[in-house]
Amino acid sequence: MTATTNTAVSAGNTPPAPRSTAGAAPTRRRGQQSTGQRMLPYLLLAPAVLGILALLGWPVLSVLLTSVRKLDLGELMRGQVVWVGFDNYVEIISDPGFWEITLRTLLFTAGCVASIVLGGLLVALLMRHVPPAVRVLLQLSLVLAWAMPNLAATTTFQWIFDPNFGILNKTLVLFGFDGFAGYSWFTSGLSTLTVIVVVVAWQGIPFTAFTMYAGLLAVPGDLYEAAGIDGANSWQSFRAVTWPALRPILTVCTFLSILWDFKLFTQVWAMRQGGPDGGSTTLSVLQYLNGISAKHFGLAAAVSVLMIVVLFVLTAQYIRLLVRSREVDL
Amino acid sequence: MALAATAAATLGVAACGTSGGGGNSAEGGTLTVWLMDGSASEEMISALNQEFEAAHPGVKVKYEVQAWNGIQDKLTTSLTSDNPPDIIELGNTQNPQFSSQDTLTDLTDSAKDFNQDKWIPGLAEAGKWNGKQYGIPFYAANRVVLYRTDLFQAAGITATPTSNAEWLDAIAKLKAANAADPDFQPLYLPGQYWYALTSFIWDQGGDLATGSGGSYTGALDTPQAQAGVEFYKQLVEASGTTAPKDNDEAHPQQADVYAAGKVGMWIGMPGELATAVKTDPSLKEKTSAFPIPSKDAGKTAPVFLGGSNLAIPASAAHVDAAKDWLKLLTSDKYQTQLAKGGFVPGADKDTTALAGDPVSAAMAKATAGGKATPVTPAWASIEAGQNPLKDMLTAVLTGAKTVPQATKDANDALTKALAK
Repeated sequence: MTATTNTAVSAGNTPPAPRSTAGAAPTRRRGQQSTGQRMLPYLLLAPAVLGILALLGWPVLSVLLTSVRKLDLGELMRGQVVWVGFDNYVEIISDPGFWEITLRTLLFTAGCVASIVLGGLLVALLMRHVPPAVRVLLQLSLVLAWAMPNLAATTTFQWIFDPNFGILNKTLVLFGFDGFAGYSWFTSGLSTLTVIVVVVAWQGIPFTAFTMYAGLLAVPGDLYEAAGIDGANSWQSFRAVTWPALRPILTVCTFLSILWDFKLFTQVWAMRQGGPDGGSTTLSVLQYLNGISAKHFGLAAAVSVLMIVVLFVLTAQYIRLLVRSREVDL
Repeated sequence: MALAATAAATLGVAACGTSGGGGNSAEGGTLTVWLMDGSASEEMISALNQEFEAAHPGVKVKYEVQAWNGIQDKLTTSLTSDNPPDIIELGNTQNPQFSSQDTLTDLTDSAKDFNQDKWIPGLAEAGKWNGKQYGIPFYAANRVVLYRTDLFQAAGITATPTSNAEWLDAIAKLKAANAADPDFQPLYLPGQYWYALTSFIWDQGGDLATGSGGSYTGALDTPQAQAGVEFYKQLVEASGTTAPKDNDEAHPQQADVYAAGKVGMWIGMPGELATAVKTDPSLKEKTSAFPIPSKDAGKTAPVFLGGSNLAIPASAAHVDAAKDWLKLLTSDKYQTQLAKGGFVPGADKDTTALAGDPVSAAMAKATAGGKATPVTPAWASIEAGQNPLKDMLTAVLTGAKTVPQATKDANDALTKALAK
């Protein structure tokens, strides 16, 4: 570990230059010693690097290769390799339904991310302002919602939204909205996806809330005091004190949420299998339908690759920020 | 679902591991047979295995019961493994997907050994692809209308309905007789029970799709198919059933709903009745059945032929032994035993063994006119993916779409899915 730091420093900075002029004999001795020494860290790192390559690199390569193959049940069973070039991509992209599904997935992701980040921010601010006892209660319920398995949460929400026996419709009727008696929430893709966004947000908010609350705790109290003395109202002190401290954390949360929600499958499939009429089908559902249901694994792999491309475009800005900020920080 | 798929895949791998171990220790002398949960009885299969082992010294039968849930994924993983089972049971609607991909052994030449002339046509059709026979009929089970004899009597219904008009009349009478109980449903009919819908569509002279071989196009927008959907809606409205309009017969399990005692009639299979009887044993005495009525008095509606075929994976290690096992199973002796277990046997036209029980008798009566879903590999992916028939029913029953609109949309979706 120390050896790596040394080489890194000597490579980047000019000061070590005198070392090389410090006399021929000692340098050579150091050089001879360091051949083995220089190799050591790489040897120590090798298992981890190879492990990561095998665990991450191979599946990615495998998906890429599968996406240019015709791989149905028969080919899979016979171990036959049939290259079809970009046929799978052409078939997926030429289907007008694909673009509709892509757009729907983007809107769904936007809905999820917006509600999770905004909801998380509000809950984090709330946590800061309520008395300790209430805060503990709030945190406890957040952790419980977070800990709930996805399928269990989805099933519970299906019950809540059940047209005849769901507590939501019954409550609405109780408050005088008689139109909701027996109202079905799953008759259109839009309302089905809205219900799914609610489930996802319900389970996603705890993570962002806790992360942002941690960020809020890092803001020294005297900054608020100073702002107060300067006559700032609560909105101004939020903008001038809280926001700058929260912004990096908010960016991380947004980035993570985009990654998680874009490829979300479990809740979407469990809720209505992408229905009605395919109205809540997202890209990950399309992938499942092509691969697991229809057993066209090549097509499904092509959808996966296209998903990676879309995701890359979506997050390119953040990746750029990430790379740049590292340069600045170092 | 994803969880289920993963679990199934893991199970598949585990099962392969064990069957591999068994194969090694007996030096290829183990015949692995996979049958599904709820098919032939334990006693029947063990008797058959004993007879088989006696005739094949040195060969041991390894019999494993599989669960229907996630079976497609499990079959996919096991058929592509190095140690696939030697005999598998396939749902008749899943059969074409496996045959069209050359994953099964061609049994055309041995068909006559398996009692071919007594096969149920609907099942044999499902096992056939491109003129070759890959699947052998195992058993059929179809839906009947199950009803409570005591409630029928109390409502003054003396004869079981033999036409759609009489059926609706029976619903009205049951409703009137039980008006005091707000939870009572004369007919329990969930919104997405597409197996029941197929009966009504066929009865009106319509069909799900037309075509043959690999190419089918939807036929749901025909006036006949629309009439079938209309009748479904009529039944739901007449009954005022509180069954979910946006879910199928398995969510919740309709047998459990029936077991709660607030249902007069439901469309189900004898196996489902057995589940209900487990919860409330008194239902056995109080339940009888009649075939799904037709629009024409005295006839019965064609039923959706559910059932299973048997097949030998193309990669099976013991094809000859597997064929001998199938030959034994399709012999009259075991087919009769299958019928005694309450199934319509796949390779025996003699169903007298079923006549003793009113429910089985009603089922056997309808089997002959049974029809199946289009014989195309795409159908299995419709069932395992998004089924347009379900969306269509929900849209009609919730009033989201008119019948012509819903049938047209579903037809477009079905045609598109069948073309894949």
